Amino acid sequence: MRVLTHCLSFGKPRSLIGLWLGLSGLLAAIALLSLLYGAGDVGPARAWQALQDLGAAASYDSEAHFVIAELRAPRLWIGLVVGAALGIAGALLQAVTRNPLAEPGLLGVSAGAAFAVTLAILWGADTATLRVSVAQLGALGGCLCVLAAARLQGIGSDPIRLILAGAILSGLLHSLSSLILLYDQHTADEIRFWVVGSLAGRQLDDLVPLFPTLGVATLLTILLARPLAALALGEHVAIGLGHHPRVVRLLVIVVVALLVGGATAAAGPIAFVGLVVPFAARALAGPDIRRTLWLCLPLGPIVVVSADIVSRLVVPPSELPLGVLTALIGAPVLIGVVRGRRLPTL
Amino acid sequence: MTSPADTPNAVRQDKYYLALPLGQRSPLRVIVDKRNLLANLLLLGLLILLAGASLNIGSAASLSLPATLRALLGDGSPLDTFVIQELRLPRVIAGIVTGGAFALAGCLMQTVARNRLATPGIVGLDNGATAFAVASVVGTGISLAPPAMALTGAAVAAALTFGLTGRIGVRGYRFLVAGIGVGAVFGALTQLMLTRVSIDAANAAYPWTVGSLNARPDHAVLSLSLALPPALLAGIWLTRSLTVLRLSDAVAISLGIAAGRCRMAALSVAVILTGLAVAVAGPVGMVALIGPEFARQLSAKNTVPVVGATLAGAVVMVAADLLGRMLLAPIEIPVGIVTALIGSPLLLWILLNPNARTAP
Amino acid sequence: MTHDAPACERDTAQPDTAPDMTAPDMATQGLSLAYGSVAVIEDLDLQLPAGQVTAIVGPNGCGKSTLLAGLSRLLKPRGGTVLLNGTDIRHQPTRQLAKRLALLPQQPHAPEALTVAELVRFGRHPHQSWLRQWSLEDKRIVDEALDMTGLTPLAQRPVDALSGGQRQRAWIAMAIAQQTATLLLDEPTSALDLGHQVEVYELIQSLAASGKTIVMVIHDLVSACRYADHLIAMHQGHVIAEGLPGETVTPELVRRLYGVECSLITDPATGAPLLTNVRRTRDALDGSAT
Repeated sequence: MRVLTHCLSFGKPRSLIGLWLGLSGLLAAIALLSLLYGAGDVGPARAWQALQDLGAAASYDSEAHFVIAELRAPRLWIGLVVGAALGIAGALLQAVTRNPLAEPGLLGVSAGAAFAVTLAILWGADTATLRVSVAQLGALGGCLCVLAAARLQGIGSDPIRLILAGAILSGLLHSLSSLILLYDQHTADEIRFWVVGSLAGRQLDDLVPLFPTLGVATLLTILLARPLAALALGEHVAIGLGHHPRVVRLLVIVVVALLVGGATAAAGPIAFVGLVVPFAARALAGPDIRRTLWLCLPLGPIVVVSADIVSRLVVPPSELPLGVLTALIGAPVLIGVVRGRRLPTL
Repeated sequence: MTSPADTPNAVRQDKYYLALPLGQRSPLRVIVDKRNLLANLLLLGLLILLAGASLNIGSAASLSLPATLRALLGDGSPLDTFVIQELRLPRVIAGIVTGGAFALAGCLMQTVARNRLATPGIVGLDNGATAFAVASVVGTGISLAPPAMALTGAAVAAALTFGLTGRIGVRGYRFLVAGIGVGAVFGALTQLMLTRVSIDAANAAYPWTVGSLNARPDHAVLSLSLALPPALLAGIWLTRSLTVLRLSDAVAISLGIAAGRCRMAALSVAVILTGLAVAVAGPVGMVALIGPEFARQLSAKNTVPVVGATLAGAVVMVAADLLGRMLLAPIEIPVGIVTALIGSPLLLWILLNPNARTAP
Repeated sequence: MTHDAPACERDTAQPDTAPDMTAPDMATQGLSLAYGSVAVIEDLDLQLPAGQVTAIVGPNGCGKSTLLAGLSRLLKPRGGTVLLNGTDIRHQPTRQLAKRLALLPQQPHAPEALTVAELVRFGRHPHQSWLRQWSLEDKRIVDEALDMTGLTPLAQRPVDALSGGQRQRAWIAMAIAQQTATLLLDEPTSALDLGHQVEVYELIQSLAASGKTIVMVIHDLVSACRYADHLIAMHQGHVIAEGLPGETVTPELVRRLYGVECSLITDPATGAPLLTNVRRTRDALDGSAT
């Protein structure tokens, strides 16, 4: 791990490690909280007892054990994976479009994935595995739309217009999805709770199909970090340093599609995480993409898991969709960035 | 009176203007642009045609034209009379007033912001109004009537968006993104409230949150119908100032226009119309884009087609509703979805086409 | 009515000198202007001579455009008053004021496909009302403004299809149609080439000759000397010199304004002062050398 850190970072490696360890500690604490607190009857004291019993394998509070092992733990795992995937996808997408506002949810990548899954379910596809690859294909479509728009004259240099285009594309895909839901009651029932974005009611099995593609994405991210950092200095500089901007860009897009598609398949479309997490990471570690990516790893899960905890606690016994909460956190950040006197460019 | 000798020369050169003399000996004129007059008549004809079709066609029965007319006048068969007068006529009226209101609000806001993309929907007004209206429907202890609540919501959203972007101004695209952010917050709040009610109530609210003419509470339709004519008059009154305001603030002020007050007035009218229209039909924000765009295509260049936009909005709304009822019959597609499917590509085209103007 | 029309036509020979057209005097008393919390101009007393071309010059950021914004009520003063004919402009309805005072902002932008005639017609806006949107009087004045600026043949052309000088003349024509006695211009010749600059300056001079008070902010000191009757030199929000260009402009003033050395000669053709041998100040050179 230390060697990897050294490869990926430059400047002040020690402070990065310190930050990283601190954030990881915070994440561990939040993860524990997410096991302890919930909307149901099992309160933090009982849950704590059950957790201790889990290690000791002694007296058994079967209800608490069930709640923790079967309900809360899977949520936690999925939250960890989804948070990390969305955070890193956001950082990558922002680096490749050189736009601090580029976010998979805002740019229509998540909407593309969601629309693809809606279509797939409409046509009878059912299994979770298929859902992952379909979502990733949909996300890829969304990504390609974004790239095409970004390359259009005038848009690439104007971060705000790209966001508008993404928002409109999202709206269009959303209404198409609504149309399908309206048309097909079966699909609607299947998808209603998935489509708002939530970690509730997920099984650990839902996570398994994600691993192969997420592994590929992780490997590619590690390989791509250095060329991306060079790309931040401009296309010509990157070529001068011996990189291939076109290839890098294409690969990054594939990674983003894999990550966002996977996260969307697991938890539904969740907006704003990919905006907030890299934003915080940059504030902590500066603009270098290699440092940003490292910090996104703990920060993404921190945001998603704590949002999930809050979503369980605000309106007990019912739950809030996670997407609602992330929007409530993320939209003010978006407005804050837009309000800045100068838009930072990446 | 309008002999060539005394028709204002600069006006006559354009040959597009119709100068109406007021009084036999007065040299005063109200100028009516001939092309705009023509466009408005065309739109009115189209609206009457579509409204007629909308009365005729429906899931119950497609009546013949004479039968429709008889039912409309009250001496058809009891069933026909019921279908026409109780079911279809209110729906058509609701479509006309909401479409007109949305489009007029859109036209005013686009002109004030000098950006064709700046419709009330994009800037978050629709979502604000919806959130407040849902709050009153779901009943979170606030028992104001939905129109009043929707109005408050639209005003709050407008105050937030324009207040938050006060420093960076309404020029350019930034305030639009701020508006999207405000809209996202209100959208999330709406969902939050819907998750707290029973699934049946949420299901019942669903068509309304995407924009539909199904719900159309009577008092909401009534208050919108009462508000629309004065709003249209205010819009017509503001047209002269808005036309100059299109140039630039400095020029407008130099020409004696209280730019701040004029902008405030136009925005207030837009907020009122949007709030009241959302209370009837939910967020059908895309009409606010399509209506004025349609009117601008037909009208003379460099005019602010206030009346045209209102008529075009009504046309679009009635047409979209008719389409939504016919396309997948017996399933009804809410107008909100139909207009979004038409409007989104239009928005993308305006935004992405490098040759398209963004100024209205 | 039909009898009046020819009379109106005949009147065009002699410009209509309504009360508005009597040479006004414009002045500021203790004027303070600020953007947000940044004070740009403080406690400024100024007299702008009636019926003359006044040029405000100074280095970038000296507050000259801010002053113009204050004079034209675009910027609300933090303190003090702007007086037009002895009354505070803030106490006049903006529409009434628009009949006395016109402003041409820097490089105004016309909407696409707006024709010259339509643009010039906007100048009549403060004189019209909803029920009185057009009159023979308006027509006569618009035609006159087009004629004065030599734009009659181009009246039906879109503004954005004109050359830079023609476009600027069209905007000035709009201000002429406004029939104000005072005209404020913010860098009317920026982004114009030499030929177009002369075209605009000569138009401005002829307007002053017809009795208007003209105040313009310009960058170019030489043009200011050549075309202005009265020069106001500003530096860091203060007026450091004012008066006849020939008497005001000295090598000393140029050094204070721009930090450059120059020699002055008198243009044998026009009598205006000319700057020659402009170079960096000795001080600055010494400073960089040591």
